[in-house]
Amino acid sequence: MTFLHPILFWALPLIFLPIIIHFLNRLRHRPQPWAAMRFLISATRNSASHTRLRQFLILFFRVICVLMLIAFMARPLAGGWLGWALSPAPDAILILLDRSASMEMQSGGITRREQAIKLLTEAASQFEQSSHLVLIDSATRQPQDLAHSADLARLSVTQPTDTTADIPAMLHTAFNWLIENRAGAAEIWIASDSQRSNWLPEDPRWKNLVAQLTSLTQRVRVRYLALSLEPEANGSVALKELIRRQGAGKSELQFLLDIQRNRNSAAPIPIAMNLDGTKSQMEAATEGQSLRWRQRADLGTHPAGGWGAFQLPADSNLRDNTAYFVYGPDIPMRAASVCADPESARCLQFACSDRSAHPAEAVPAAEFASAKLDDLSLIVWQEALPTGPGAERLRTFAEEGGVIVFFPPAHLDAQRFNAVSWGELQDAEADKAFRILRWDEDQGPLARSDERFSLPLSQVTFVRRQQITGPKTVLAAFEDGSAFLARQIVGRGEIYFCASLPNGDWSTLSDGTVLVPMMQRSLQTGARRLQQVTIADCGELSAADRTRQWESVDAPGKDIRFQAGVYRSGERFMAVNRPAAEDEPETLEMSDTQKLFGSLPFQPFQERAAAGPLQGEVWRMFLFAMLLFLIGEGILILPSRKPPTPIGGRTAS
Amino acid sequence: MHLPLSARFPMEGTVSGHHKSPHRGSSVEFAEYRNYVPGDDIRRLDWRVFGRTDRFYLKEFEAETNLRCYFVLDCSGSMGFSKAGQSKLEYAKKIIATLAYLTIHEGDAIGLICVGEKALIEIPPRRNPAHLKLILDTLLNAKPHGETGLVPVMHDLAEKIRRRAVVIVLSDFFCEPAPLMSCFQHLRFQKHDLALFHLLDRAEVMFQFDRPMRFVDMENNFSLVTEPAGIRDEYLRQLNLFLEQMRAGAHEFGVEYRRVITDENYEKALGSFLVERAQA
Repeated sequence: MTFLHPILFWALPLIFLPIIIHFLNRLRHRPQPWAAMRFLISATRNSASHTRLRQFLILFFRVICVLMLIAFMARPLAGGWLGWALSPAPDAILILLDRSASMEMQSGGITRREQAIKLLTEAASQFEQSSHLVLIDSATRQPQDLAHSADLARLSVTQPTDTTADIPAMLHTAFNWLIENRAGAAEIWIASDSQRSNWLPEDPRWKNLVAQLTSLTQRVRVRYLALSLEPEANGSVALKELIRRQGAGKSELQFLLDIQRNRNSAAPIPIAMNLDGTKSQMEAATEGQSLRWRQRADLGTHPAGGWGAFQLPADSNLRDNTAYFVYGPDIPMRAASVCADPESARCLQFACSDRSAHPAEAVPAAEFASAKLDDLSLIVWQEALPTGPGAERLRTFAEEGGVIVFFPPAHLDAQRFNAVSWGELQDAEADKAFRILRWDEDQGPLARSDERFSLPLSQVTFVRRQQITGPKTVLAAFEDGSAFLARQIVGRGEIYFCASLPNGDWSTLSDGTVLVPMMQRSLQTGARRLQQVTIADCGELSAADRTRQWESVDAPGKDIRFQAGVYRSGERFMAVNRPAAEDEPETLEMSDTQKLFGSLPFQPFQERAAAGPLQGEVWRMFLFAMLLFLIGEGILILPSRKPPTPIGGRTAS
Repeated sequence: MHLPLSARFPMEGTVSGHHKSPHRGSSVEFAEYRNYVPGDDIRRLDWRVFGRTDRFYLKEFEAETNLRCYFVLDCSGSMGFSKAGQSKLEYAKKIIATLAYLTIHEGDAIGLICVGEKALIEIPPRRNPAHLKLILDTLLNAKPHGETGLVPVMHDLAEKIRRRAVVIVLSDFFCEPAPLMSCFQHLRFQKHDLALFHLLDRAEVMFQFDRPMRFVDMENNFSLVTEPAGIRDEYLRQLNLFLEQMRAGAHEFGVEYRRVITDENYEKALGSFLVERAQA
């Protein structure tokens, strides 16, 4: 057992205070002449042993109370013998180890994962003879039997990864193991850094999980080792967006990076970029903790694809310092429009022109089901919402990475697409117009330009609109809150719903100052449908990709399932980065964690000292013990029930 | 009007008085008729009864005599105890002085025995009023000192007093109960009217102390350091046991036993003593 404030043990001699007071009190006795000495002597003789025992107990309780008070104030941390070994050995111990990238945060030269393994090994060693040890790691989520606790440090499934952790899923795996193996009393030991994005406290699976674990006939206890080491200075970089743009005879890469650091500093952040083996050094200036950083890289006339990475200097977590990317060869981007309104169709076709200034291809709605979509990245739909095979083709198009922009059909339409439908038509009052004053300028087709200029959307006047109803994310809204542009993410692609038309009777969108960048950006976004190269999150490969043979390009010997990097499978490149959730700094409070487990027996341990044993605060135990001893002492010093006292005036004759 | 000290049993006095005598006498109090036997004084024959019944009967009357009262005052060191107010000895002196005054004014004889480790002072009973001054002076000079020799003194007293008398003992009786009982039995065997005033201090029966004390024996200076709170229960149990033995012993031997706490009004204690005797 260790203590957070061991200096308070200098006050340990205070435990002798009750004894000293006791003897001082005895020395302060007053002489009292007494007549009935024979009863006094007899009473002293008869009750001497009892009185001595009671006095000894009172003194003992007082000494223990002072000791408990000092220990309580010193914030005791229960280690292995108290926190763990005192419990009866369960039949099975399921060790759930968080191997996510955030667990590689170092403190005192040791990462959270290494510290967790060390502490778990120590604790499990006491049970390896009596309990069945099973490891479930966050990356594979495959139960693995442990013959010896020392294996924890040696197994490949306890090594670092760039994946994220899904604690509810790990618990579900543990539950299934308990069911399949018909284990008796079991304990689930969870080691994690309490990262909120790993624990997903709002996830509805928690309720079912706790209900299932509680309903098990065998006793299941949860012990949670929270690795809340104070992090040292750390920075992280993540790639948010990569676009290859073709200019006049040359092309360039446009990067959007999210850079974060856990401490405020005015110092610029040095960033190293590796582009196809060419290294360059640059700096990002910020005074805050996070920065959205845009960067361009000139590819010249290089037509083919390649790969690269952005890297921060080494800090306390080496796993979040690199963002990998791959880019493909320049490909043409084409759009198709399915429009009923001729004026809108003309505007939209020109707004969606390709690099050669060829307008978008017009496709009649009736022929859409058989139209060729292979080389398209954008479809503009200004018709009644599709149904049947047409709707299915559109959905597949979006899931493959394409972008669909729906415009109002200009009449009431009862159909739905992805649960979204068109509502009533609304006209602005005479001499008035619908206005848009605020919209999302950080992302989407209405975002600011690279030069940080806003699109002139507030200058566009709208006199007619058609309401968008159904589940959606609103990117721009009119003054009265009605949506102008809404988005749905479907698979790898996006679906937009725009509430007005580029038609003189509807709006001034046909001026093109907003419509053209909006449609060109959508065209650009949809181009990923045609790219063979992709950027994926580590641990979240699609089923098809998992079946391929991947070879690491940036460094030898990497495993695409667990480690970030650039991989190649035949002609296809893939950049794998740690999931963005791993950069989120929010952690779950211990009290919130405990609430997740409801009525399940839950014992938290917070590991704070870098080299200390597996410990949890047990000050409550000392407080209760002190109270118990105080009550005991109070009972002992309580005056006994008043015995009948003799009174005068009694006569016998 | 005052209430005299009455004897519970017939007394054997030397002169006529107000108390019953075991003998027949010439008072106005009719006792009984009895048959004439030769040798009886024929002047005591009741001729009216002879006229009616033709038989000889003698008419007898109660004899009334004076009493002799012995006050036994315990002057041992323990009688000097007082936590607050007057000591047990002072209290006992008041009772004796009052009873002596009443008794001598009834024409009865009073005597006083002050008991320390032995009989310190013995004043034989006299009935003249001047004797009261001697008694009062002796009481005034009595001081508590030493251990008590109550048991041998009472045995001696039982042997010394030849005629039936009233013996009033005022003490805290802090000695072994068994020898005390034999004293009571001895005095009662000699047909004396024995009355005990058991004097106790309030502090002795309550025993309420909140801190360690060094108790010093008032009779032999033996001292004992103890935690009163720790032994209070046992002390009171022992004291109650002793008091119960005293009460039971007194009842067994027909001794009047009266327990008095010294913070009570002595007039009240004395009043009930005299009234109960008068009604007996």
